[in-house]
Amino acid sequence: MNLIISTLKKDDLYNKKIIENIQKNINNVEVIYAEDMNIKGCIGCNRCWLVTPGICTIKDDYERLLIKFLQSKQVVFITDLRLGFVSYKLKNIFDRILPLLTMNLRFKNGQMRHYLRYKKHYKMGLIYKGNGNREFLEKWLERVMINLDGTSIGTYNIENEEEILNALINC
Amino acid sequence: MHLLIVSCTPRAKEKSNTDKILDELKKGYEYNGNTTETLYLYKRNEWESIREKFYENDNILFALPLYVECIPGIMAEFLETLKPKQNCNTKIGFLLQSGFAEASQLRCCESYLETLPSLLGCEYNGTLLKGGMFAVSFIGSKMRKQMIEPFYDMGKYYAQNNYFNKEAVNDFAKPEYFSKKDIFLNNVVSPLNKLFMKVFAKKLGCKVSLNDKPYQNYFKR
Repeated sequence: MNLIISTLKKDDLYNKKIIENIQKNINNVEVIYAEDMNIKGCIGCNRCWLVTPGICTIKDDYERLLIKFLQSKQVVFITDLRLGFVSYKLKNIFDRILPLLTMNLRFKNGQMRHYLRYKKHYKMGLIYKGNGNREFLEKWLERVMINLDGTSIGTYNIENEEEILNALINC
Repeated sequence: MHLLIVSCTPRAKEKSNTDKILDELKKGYEYNGNTTETLYLYKRNEWESIREKFYENDNILFALPLYVECIPGIMAEFLETLKPKQNCNTKIGFLLQSGFAEASQLRCCESYLETLPSLLGCEYNGTLLKGGMFAVSFIGSKMRKQMIEPFYDMGKYYAQNNYFNKEAVNDFAKPEYFSKKDIFLNNVVSPLNKLFMKVFAKKLGCKVSLNDKPYQNYFKR
């Protein structure tokens, strides 16, 4: 299964268009809209590492996403940019991936990393709406994926449909 | 000189590493009669007055923990509610701390912070960064003192220079990367660290392995 998680409004025209296009060209795509979900921000309590390993203490709809991450071949996030970075709604979703990692640390390629909780190669990409520094967004997602021991599919402006489809098809 | 500090961690003050570091930094900043005021984003009902203070003050420090390679969601949410300042002389500096120990882990977020003040109509006043702060809020007071004491001097430094100079910060934040020797030693003591964490977790009430896989049944490779 391929997963799309969008923090844009369902009726956002760009959002509608790119999702339709992806669904036309790629099989087995499930779409989740953040607006249908109740997702709170990480409170930094560390309970998902130290008290109930792998389980977030916040009881909202996020658990559904964690399970989807494990089940998906690739995950593409769609969001708008605010102040040159992804919207807080998407950042909250990323901040809460910590249950996929364990507390323990190791060194990989010369830097400290957490161990993965599940043996899984995550592939994640980002489609953004609005103006921003793509180079920075690329770097950010690359680093997020290094932490998850996975691969970044890249970051794409929502208007560059061809580039997005090529990336997803070739991934 | 007066410094407005906005603490951007979602953790309540008593459990916050960022705030323990801030306390020490403030002492250094205030040594020569300077004053500070600290506001907390985790107190959501105070956001309106924090916004007002943001518009009124022209010497501001945002203090934050590294969350997944950049600013925490709660800080992004707050920033999205601000309107850029017009024709002001506001300067914004940052204090950025992380659990990961090497300074290199903080550079991605730092590069974002460098661009942020101009998007708010303000000037960038540098970022003080430091890794290895994971244990600040739960270790013994003696060790904590040792960990946070160096921030006193950096507070003093910021009061004197009104800017976090990159060279001074790099020196403060080192190592940028661990040496091969340090990595080797770290690997040697790694089983001990894991054991320590296991014991610590048990004390906190953990009843399963720290490597537990609660969603394994849902998992497809």
